Amino acid sequence: MRAVARLVFLYFAGTAMTRALTICGLLSCLISLYVVTYLPQSQHMLAFAQVGQLLFFLGSALMPVMVGRLAQGHASGLLPYGRWKLLLSMLLTVFLVALPTGILTPFAFVAGMSEPAAALVAHPGLLEFSITRAWIIYTSCVIIAGWLYLVMWFLSERNRAGFAKGMLVIVIMMFLPAREIQELSATTRWNLEQLAVAWTVFGALFLAWPRLKNVRATLRRATAGSRGGFSRDTSGREVDLILGTGNPWLFIAAQLIPIAVASRVGIDLPSVWLYFLTIFSTVNGAIAGQAAERSRALWLRSGWSRSGLFAAVEKSFLRHNVVVLVLLLLIMGLIGARAGFTRALMAMGLPLVVLGTLASTYLGLSLTRGLRWFEASLGVTLMLTLMAVSQMLGAQPAPLSVVIVIEILLAFSALALRILARRRWATIDWTQCRPTRALSLRGA
Amino acid sequence: MNDATVQAAHLSKSFGAKRVLDDLTFAVAPGDVIGVLGKNGAGKTTLLELMLGFTPPSAGDIRVFGHSSERLPGDAKSRVGFVPQQDELIDQLTVADQLRLIASFYPHWDAELIDRLCTEWGVNPKARVKSMSVGERQKLSILLAFGHRPDLLVLDEPVASLDPMARRQFLEQLVEASADGRRTVIFSSHIVSDIERLANRIWILKDGRLDWQGDLDSLKESIVRLHLRAADGVLANLEVPGALSVRRDGSFTTAVVRDWTPGSLESLTAGRAIDVQVESLALEEIFLELHR
Amino acid sequence: MFVLKPQSGVPIYRQILEQVRRMVASGQLAPGAELPSVRDLALKHAVNPMTISKAYSLLEAEGMLERNRGRPMTVASQARNSSLLNRRLQQIQPLVEQTVLAAKQLEIGEAELVKSVRRNWENDHE
Repeated sequence: MRAVARLVFLYFAGTAMTRALTICGLLSCLISLYVVTYLPQSQHMLAFAQVGQLLFFLGSALMPVMVGRLAQGHASGLLPYGRWKLLLSMLLTVFLVALPTGILTPFAFVAGMSEPAAALVAHPGLLEFSITRAWIIYTSCVIIAGWLYLVMWFLSERNRAGFAKGMLVIVIMMFLPAREIQELSATTRWNLEQLAVAWTVFGALFLAWPRLKNVRATLRRATAGSRGGFSRDTSGREVDLILGTGNPWLFIAAQLIPIAVASRVGIDLPSVWLYFLTIFSTVNGAIAGQAAERSRALWLRSGWSRSGLFAAVEKSFLRHNVVVLVLLLLIMGLIGARAGFTRALMAMGLPLVVLGTLASTYLGLSLTRGLRWFEASLGVTLMLTLMAVSQMLGAQPAPLSVVIVIEILLAFSALALRILARRRWATIDWTQCRPTRALSLRGA
Repeated sequence: MNDATVQAAHLSKSFGAKRVLDDLTFAVAPGDVIGVLGKNGAGKTTLLELMLGFTPPSAGDIRVFGHSSERLPGDAKSRVGFVPQQDELIDQLTVADQLRLIASFYPHWDAELIDRLCTEWGVNPKARVKSMSVGERQKLSILLAFGHRPDLLVLDEPVASLDPMARRQFLEQLVEASADGRRTVIFSSHIVSDIERLANRIWILKDGRLDWQGDLDSLKESIVRLHLRAADGVLANLEVPGALSVRRDGSFTTAVVRDWTPGSLESLTAGRAIDVQVESLALEEIFLELHR
Repeated sequence: MFVLKPQSGVPIYRQILEQVRRMVASGQLAPGAELPSVRDLALKHAVNPMTISKAYSLLEAEGMLERNRGRPMTVASQARNSSLLNRRLQQIQPLVEQTVLAAKQLEIGEAELVKSVRRNWENDHE
């Protein structure tokens, strides 16, 4: 059990960055608790809570990485009860990470009332009701957290297949638990049943994975040599091949499918759509984060100067992203027409998607020294801004002037990030952006 | 042998159509230090993985501490330590965190020993694994396998990335660990001189079969190079039993033979006027001759 | 105390056997002299302790060494005696063989060889 405790501790506090995120998240939640309990009601009371929960969740980002590393190597098979303890630590983590939401919900629930929460303790029926709601929301959050870790795991593959899988899971997630919260159709019991089933299946797969892997390896080696292994890019442009931007069509397909599924499933709140699409555009640009590492091969084979290299890389990514962006915008247009987005929403939303993609692409390109504090906080800020704007646009009435200001600021940020990226590439030092070993392990 | 540390009977392993290990039978006694030699692709890593239950045998049986290797119970696992060929450290953690994490899985962990070795081997507990060189990472991998003082240590090319001084330090630690004669060590290495120092038994894997398994001393005494000198014509058609290679050059013949015993001298010369000089070979030469 | 060459074709335990015998025969190791413990020797030369242990056990069986409880092995008091002439001759046997072979190869007659040996013997005594 010591091992389980230490694992969970390391998930939340293994590096300085995750430690900071965890602590900030917890602090934010504490502040939110105070705010909701003692201060008079206002619309933005829950901001601290939401940010706090998000930061707390991001603080546990080491979990997919560590579990992946331990589970894929010999360690999990060799450590006494290794896989069991890993599984338990994962279960414990999802229950822990959803706690802030669970604890804050009763307070948040009464935040909509006209009196401060402290005064409402006097109403026992209300108290009971809010606690019941809290349990429901808590267990729903546990479910969502589990799926989100899966998304993180897929995204950590850092290739298009992983991205596609991750997006698909996000869609599934938006459908089941989020919808149920929306429609108030969930019950604690149903949630716990879902959890039990999902984790039993996952647990069984996880524990039996070595054996399954052996079967797969045996089968694969029996048909050895039949498949090449890497992408079937035939675009012929060396730059694109090396950077991985050669084939936007797979990327587009990876985004079309989840969108198609989601539209069938009938998610129709405009702000949720916008939210969703801005996430797409952001991750899109995050793939640019690999550019620095991969460009080394390019540098070695061509006669470009460093600034020439940057220009070529930038062109390649923009070319790739433009195609995807155009498609995203078209889709948004179609959905907007069908779902009855207001004109304001469209007018503000389309530039948001474009700006999101641009800003995150340049942020990704500026990662020439790995992901450090500065870049990480820029990334988080960007993400939060995009999400906040989507929320704002969904509100009635939408604060258009604020949104316009923010979007102008975003445009300037994108420009600034471009300048930053260009300056960094002029002095790029490839020994500082060594590809992580995780990449090679995943490939095995 | 019921108290054998590792025991295998007719062990085979194939990947699809390719047969990697073929009908191996062996028993490892407690306290043995076994050096596994073999060309690349001979199946060394596969054998070690089979031993620890990472992959199931295609045929035959392999047992560790009396249990089937695929179904080792938890307390048996706490008596086994493994150093893989490629390290499996978690890049984001510090050395100290990594050590504490692995330590928490085991009921007994010798923190004093690990602290002392960290200092002696120059491993900085505060360093982050990501920023360590390959040699330092390998040292850490070795430490992670030592900490719980396992009764069975399995090492797959543990010193491939270590400089000579680090290698010597590691060897000394292995010597220390096996000094009480109860710890079993099985390691594969290309660095034959290390095996020569440390192992008391040798396994030579060739084409998936155990070409030789036995004491290192017996190996050195039974595979020798003979320098024969006699009048012209006597040697030309002389048959040298058990010869791995023969080179004839007029009145001189050099042959490397296996299964040499003191009595073989008599049967070879059989009363003829042949001058025989017996040269003992280093392990590396023996290995090369066996693979000619 | 010992010079061990793990890469020699001669097994390590045999190297120890020969060196101990030589040292006892020459008086370098007097009866009662203490030998390094198995562990110390193994650590110093970075070799398998079982090899050293094997050599020591064989020497004990020969009567060359004796075991003391709780203390390292010591040279037995009758060690020198049990190192009979024959056994001492065995020590230099390989050298003799080599010399004879070399002489034959160089076509030096037996009488000449004996004369050379005698000359060396006289010189050594001066």
